[in-house]
Amino acid sequence: MGGLLELDGLTRRFGVVTALDRLSFSVPSGQVVGFLGPNGAGKTTTMRAVFGLTDLDAGSVRWNGAPVGPAERRRFGYMPEERGLYPSMLVAEEIEYLGRLHGMGATDAASAARSWLKRLDVADRAGSKVESLSHGNQQRVQLAAALVHDPEVLVLDEPLAGLDPAGIDVIGQVLVEQAHAGRCVLFSSHQLDLVEDLCESVAIIDHGRLVASGTVDELATKGARRLAVRVDGDRQATWARALPGVTVSEVQGGEVRLVLDDSADSDVVLDAARAAGRVTEFVFGRRRLSEVFREAVNR
Amino acid sequence: MKALPVILAVLAVVVVVRLVLLRKRGSPASPLRWLAARVRGRRLFGDTGLVAWREIRERVRSRMFRVVTVILLAVVGAAVVIPTIHSGTTQSERVGVVAGSASLTAELRALARSAGTTVQLVGEPGLAQARAALGSGRLDMVVDGTGKILVENPVSASDTSAGARYVREVSLSLGEQRAFARAGLTPGQAAIVATAGPLPVESLKPGKAPRTTTEATALLGVILIFVVLTQYLTWTLMGVMEEKASRVVEVLLATVRPIQLLAGKVIGIGAVALAQAASLVAFALVLGEAVGSSLVHGAAPLVVAATLVWLVLGYAFYSWVYAAAGSLAERQDQVQSLALPLSAPLILGYIVSLIGVSSGNASLLVKVLAYLPPTAPFAMPTLVGFGEATWWQFLLSAAACLACTAAVAVVAARVYRAAVLRTGGRVRLRELVPAPSDAATGRVTRPAS
Repeated sequence: MGGLLELDGLTRRFGVVTALDRLSFSVPSGQVVGFLGPNGAGKTTTMRAVFGLTDLDAGSVRWNGAPVGPAERRRFGYMPEERGLYPSMLVAEEIEYLGRLHGMGATDAASAARSWLKRLDVADRAGSKVESLSHGNQQRVQLAAALVHDPEVLVLDEPLAGLDPAGIDVIGQVLVEQAHAGRCVLFSSHQLDLVEDLCESVAIIDHGRLVASGTVDELATKGARRLAVRVDGDRQATWARALPGVTVSEVQGGEVRLVLDDSADSDVVLDAARAAGRVTEFVFGRRRLSEVFREAVNR
Repeated sequence: MKALPVILAVLAVVVVVRLVLLRKRGSPASPLRWLAARVRGRRLFGDTGLVAWREIRERVRSRMFRVVTVILLAVVGAAVVIPTIHSGTTQSERVGVVAGSASLTAELRALARSAGTTVQLVGEPGLAQARAALGSGRLDMVVDGTGKILVENPVSASDTSAGARYVREVSLSLGEQRAFARAGLTPGQAAIVATAGPLPVESLKPGKAPRTTTEATALLGVILIFVVLTQYLTWTLMGVMEEKASRVVEVLLATVRPIQLLAGKVIGIGAVALAQAASLVAFALVLGEAVGSSLVHGAAPLVVAATLVWLVLGYAFYSWVYAAAGSLAERQDQVQSLALPLSAPLILGYIVSLIGVSSGNASLLVKVLAYLPPTAPFAMPTLVGFGEATWWQFLLSAAACLACTAAVAVVAARVYRAAVLRTGGRVRLRELVPAPSDAATGRVTRPAS
């Protein structure tokens, strides 16, 4: 199984608001692609466009070079941001029903529903009504509904939001497994540390435009040098704020992350740190995804 | 009905056309193989069928459906059985006779026949013994030949049961005979006086005719249509609203076209409605036959058939409107404000038809409303009940309703498609008019993030 989901020049306007502005990127099979952006950037509109749930003023969505239509969408799996299940249906029957709407036979759908519920650790709730499940378990059921028909493309809007660590682990593993099995996996999240752990590549959008994309490694090593410094007695890194050519990127738990431009001298930075207190950490490093994100969207 | 072969022929043509179209789209070479594959996979009617089947299964399983069905069966059972109990055709009156005579016995038996009952006469040796037998329940009534009638409980003038009618007739008849005897009339003179009746009074305008069996059936039919339509249209409205409120519609529309989802819901709920109504009618007919109700006699079955046909047509017409309205709302209070104006034509048709049936005359208004699709589901069965609708008038009204239903369905599908993914408050119809940038695609959606 392999393929390429291409989003090409997507443009969507709602009156005076431009939700998507010539947005283009692609999701290759075999990868988990993180889809990032601040609130209101256009992530959900983009995902809806993949499923024809919002029309486009321009641009197209293609699967293996051909425009995506109803037949292709049957082979896609979707988990919307605002979860959607029939509250009063039984869990297994609901997943089976959604599998059948994707073209599965009754027996195959029932079997796949059982299998996915087991894989997502909710098999014991197969005979319960959806509304009786906790938020986390409903989320697992929602993912099972997106996976039941063994889709070639998975588009998941905030699949990890509100989950406990166990839930995040299970769903994260499933996403990685799906990518390794040759599916295209695109998911959005605001949990950037998790995205960094799970994704090979990311696409970052802002105001409906693509502002950064590439593999996590490429983005992390791109650009100016990074320094992580920890100085006892100065957790707010006041010593670093006036250094020429140095920008404080993040201060977290006493560790300050600095961005050094071409004019900055790392020896000057070390001297300033030592003058401020005992230096317990001084490491050249990569950009974190959160830094990539902030720099891309200028926030 | 005469239209049945036509309906079957149309259905056959639809099936053949569908098979041919599917074959052209690259489905399995043989339509029969395609059909066999669908039957094996239980996908005979495609996604629409799956949606409809889910609706049927979930509705029939619900406690609400079971409770409502039991209540309706009880109401129908009562409506069929209670009139026959009051008519009392099989009840026998046990009458104790004190100081009887052959003429009194003959008179009591004749009066029983005219009251529509049978009588069991028991000779009693004295009034005290007869009184005791009446008190113990062994007798229903005591007639003393010396001029006294005893019953256990007072007989109300409004009591129309056979027993009460019999008591009143015995009282009147024996009282007349005593008066004739006191007046010294010969038996011949007494017989002439006893047959005295009022002179007929002729009016220039026709009066209210007594209600016929078909009219009574039409009355029950109109009530049945109203009850079933009200219940199931509300389900349609709520069902669409709940799908929108729970956001499941977004998952469904990612793989199913809006028209398939809408049609599946309408058909599924409609099938449950028709099945429930048919069950009620079948129950009424079987029960009516068992207890000898007039519901199943005469031309009433034709009215029953017309009732079911118009139940289907009425549901078909209104269900699209209610489904589209459901897509505009996402909360219960919003649904209520939408349901009120929608139900206005329904209530108008019901009230006017009900008044028509109750008054015994099909008014001009009923005759006009019988050809307007929103009110025809009530008015046309009423006309059938009065015997004032010919087959072509019936078909003309049905055709008008079907044509309007098709037009309404097209508009409803557009409203549904544009509104069902809009969240964050009730959608106003004017919001669905496409903005210039939306006009090209014909679709409107609020920004999502």
